[in-house]
Amino acid sequence: MDVALSPNGKRLMRVFFVLVIVFLYAPIAILLVFSFNSSAIPVFPLSGFTIRWYHDFLTNADIRAALETSAIIAVVSSIGAVALGILAAIGLTRRRFRGQLGATALLLSPLVIPLLVLGVSLALLFHELGMQRSIYTVMIGHIVITVPYTILVIRPRLGQIDASLGEAAYDLGAGPLTTFRRVTLPLILPAVVSAFMIAFTTSFDEYAVASFLVGPRQTFPVYLYAALRFPSQLPQVIAVAVVVLLGSLVVIVLAELWRRRAEARLEAPA
Amino acid sequence: MGAGEGGLTVEAATSEPAVAPRRRRRLRLTTPALLGLPVSWLAVFFLAPIAIVAAYSVDVLVLFPGPHGFTLSAWRSLFSGSNPYLHLFAKSVEMSLIVSAVVVLVAYPLAYFLALSGTKRKYILLLVLIAPFLTSYLLRVLAWKVILGDQGVINSFLFWTGLRSPDHPLSFLLYSRFAVMLVLGYVWLPFVALPIFVTLETLDRGLLEAASDLYASRLQAFVRVTLPLSAPGLVAAFLFVFIPTVGEFITPSLVGGTGGYMYGNQIVDLFGTGFPDWETGSVLALFLLAVIAVLTLVFVRFLRAGEVQAA
Repeated sequence: MDVALSPNGKRLMRVFFVLVIVFLYAPIAILLVFSFNSSAIPVFPLSGFTIRWYHDFLTNADIRAALETSAIIAVVSSIGAVALGILAAIGLTRRRFRGQLGATALLLSPLVIPLLVLGVSLALLFHELGMQRSIYTVMIGHIVITVPYTILVIRPRLGQIDASLGEAAYDLGAGPLTTFRRVTLPLILPAVVSAFMIAFTTSFDEYAVASFLVGPRQTFPVYLYAALRFPSQLPQVIAVAVVVLLGSLVVIVLAELWRRRAEARLEAPA
Repeated sequence: MGAGEGGLTVEAATSEPAVAPRRRRRLRLTTPALLGLPVSWLAVFFLAPIAIVAAYSVDVLVLFPGPHGFTLSAWRSLFSGSNPYLHLFAKSVEMSLIVSAVVVLVAYPLAYFLALSGTKRKYILLLVLIAPFLTSYLLRVLAWKVILGDQGVINSFLFWTGLRSPDHPLSFLLYSRFAVMLVLGYVWLPFVALPIFVTLETLDRGLLEAASDLYASRLQAFVRVTLPLSAPGLVAAFLFVFIPTVGEFITPSLVGGTGGYMYGNQIVDLFGTGFPDWETGSVLALFLLAVIAVLTLVFVRFLRAGEVQAA
C-alpha cells in the first residue's frame, strides 16, 4: 500500500496540479494571443491576426533604448555581484573566524529587506552624498540585492568540492590567484554561471529599487511600469512583454539543464 | 601538457634560491582579503543608507533647510491613538496574511503530490510549476490588467457571449482589494511550492511506513507525522510570501485603485514629488523594516529549535 497517497487521492491531486498549472499559464497564453490580435485594445472577440505590434516595438526607439539600458545594468551588476559572491562564499566556507555568524547574516540580509525600503534608503544616501541618479546608482542597488543570491548558489557548490584540491595546488607552488583560476573556478563554474543568470534576470526585471535610483536613462521595467499606468501603446507593450517573457523562460530552462549536465560531468570519475 | 610540465621542472630546478619569497607568496588569502570587499559593500550601500533613514526619522537630517534637531515626534505620532498610517499597516498585514495563507494552502498539496506520489518526473514538473515565477513580475501583472479590466478579457468575453450587458461590466475585478490579492497570490504561488517541496522531499518515507505498520490511517500518518515534520517548510513558505507582500507597492499601484492602496504606496507617496515628508516616510519605512526583522529573527530561532530537537 502506498502510505502517502491513496489511488483516488493521487488522481485528485493530479487534477488539482493540472488546474493550477492552467491558472498559472493561462494569463501568459492570453498575452501571447492578444499580441497577435489586430485590434489596438485587447478585447474579445478577436479581430484578426497581425504581426504589426512586433514590428512596431522593434522600431520603437524608446523600448529599444530601455532594453539596452537594462541589459547594460544587468551585465555590469551581475559581474559585480558574482565577484563579491565568490569572495564571500570562499571566505565563509573555507575560513573560521570570529564574527562569522554576523558576517553571514549581514551578507544575506538584503534577501529579507523590503525592496521599497532599500530603494528609499539608497535614494537618501545618494541624496546626502550629492550623487546624481544614473545607471551607476541603479547598478549599485542591484549589486546589493543580488549578492545574497550569488552566495546562496555558490556556497553549497564550494562545500561539495574537496578543500584539499586547493591545498594540493598550493603545495605544488601555485599562488592564490593561480589556484583559484586553475582549480577552484573550473570546479565551481556551473554554480558561478547559475549565479550570474539569477543575478542577471533579477536585475533585468527589477523595478522597486530602480524606480528610486533611475536617472534620465530609463530601465526596461521603469519604461514598462509607465506604459502600464498610461496604456496608450498597449499592444506593442504586450508584444515586447511576450518576447521578454518567452526569452527569459528559455534562458532559465536552458541554463538549469546546462548546470545539471556540467555538474554531473564534473562529478563523473575521469 | 608535456611542454607545460617541462617548463615546471626547469623552473623548479632554476629557482632553488628563490624558495623563501615563493613560500611567502604561497600564503593563502586572508579572511579580510576575501570578505573585506563584500562586507564593506553592504556596510556602505546597505547599513549606512538605513542609518541615514533613521537620522531622517528623528529629524537629525531634514529635507528642507532650517533649524532642526533630534526629536521623536514623528515616532510618537505613529503610535498615538488612531494614526491613519497604522490603520493602513493593519490593512496591509491583513491582505498579505490572507494571500500568504491561501497561497500556502494551495501550494502544499502540489508540493506533497510532487514529493510523495512517486512520480518519476517530479523535477521537471517542479520546474514547470516554478518557471512562471522566474519570468518578469511586471509582465505577469500586465497580464492580469489585460484580463480584469472593464474592457478586459473577462468582461469583453461576457459581453460577447451575452452573459452580461456592456453597460454593466464586472467592475470590482480591477482596481480593488480583490484584484491586488488575486495578483499577489498569482505572482507568489509558484515560488511557495519550493520550500514545502524541499522539506517533504527530504522526509524519511520509512517514518510513514512505520506509522502504517502501527495501524495509522493515511490521515493519521499525515496529521501526526508528515505535517509536523514539514512545519519548517510551511512556515518558511508563509514568510517568503508575507515578507515581500506586506511592503508591496507595485501591484497595488497598478491594479489596486484606491481600495487596494497599501502601506507601501503610502511610503512611496511620502517620498514622492507631490508633498514630500521624508521624516514621516522614514518612520514608516523603518517601522516596516523592524516588523520584518523581528519576524525573520523569530523564524530563524524556530528553525534552530527544530534542529536541536531533531538532533
